[in-house]
Amino acid sequence: MWMLSFVPDAILYAVVIGIMFAGISLYAFSFITRVLPPLIPYTGMIRILGTILTVVGIYFFGSYSTEMEWRNKVAELEAKVAVSEQQSKDANTKIQTVVKEKIKYVKETRVVIQEHIKNVETKIDSMCKVAPEAVDILNEAAATPGVKK
Amino acid sequence: MKKLLIALTVLMITGCAMFSPTPVKRTFPAVPSELMEACPDLKKTEPTEKLSEVLKVVVDNYGQYHECKIKVDTWVEWYKTQKDIFESVK
Repeated sequence: MWMLSFVPDAILYAVVIGIMFAGISLYAFSFITRVLPPLIPYTGMIRILGTILTVVGIYFFGSYSTEMEWRNKVAELEAKVAVSEQQSKDANTKIQTVVKEKIKYVKETRVVIQEHIKNVETKIDSMCKVAPEAVDILNEAAATPGVKK
Repeated sequence: MKKLLIALTVLMITGCAMFSPTPVKRTFPAVPSELMEACPDLKKTEPTEKLSEVLKVVVDNYGQYHECKIKVDTWVEWYKTQKDIFESVK
């Protein structure tokens, strides 16, 4: 039955109305056959067929109404999803721009500070001598916890 | 006639269960590539007596921390933004 959801609305509607119309027509026609002698033997059969088609048509009409309601809901949701996807893309672009700018600023600041160190390098080094233990401690602190390298 | 109408209505309603709804596909938003880069390990100082050399490594590591902080903060912001957008569709 799910395959019916692939059938275009207009075709589905035409089929449902067609079945109903055929059923009602056949049912009405069964009353006329009384006055048409060659068709008199088929009157009962035509009436039964008309009744069945009418009943099936009404059943399908109920199904069709529900189907249309679902399709409208799906279309509504798809529109909302499309809007949200666009919003999501826009938000990503904005976030991407901001993060790039921030990282660029951090990198630039780092370069400036490194230059500053170079300028006062002689002064710093003349005033202080670093003990090898201090470097070891610093490296120990910089090592990723739990990973031996 | 009344009974016939009731029967027809019941029949029509029974037919309502015939179709199944089509699911609406939603795609997971892509994460900006900048956020997918892993934070590198902290730099280590080469054995030296010069404080300036040590200072350079420390400054590099501080910079690295700031970059990682930006990424983590952005991840949190990204998640909150995308969650709000996702939940707005009902």
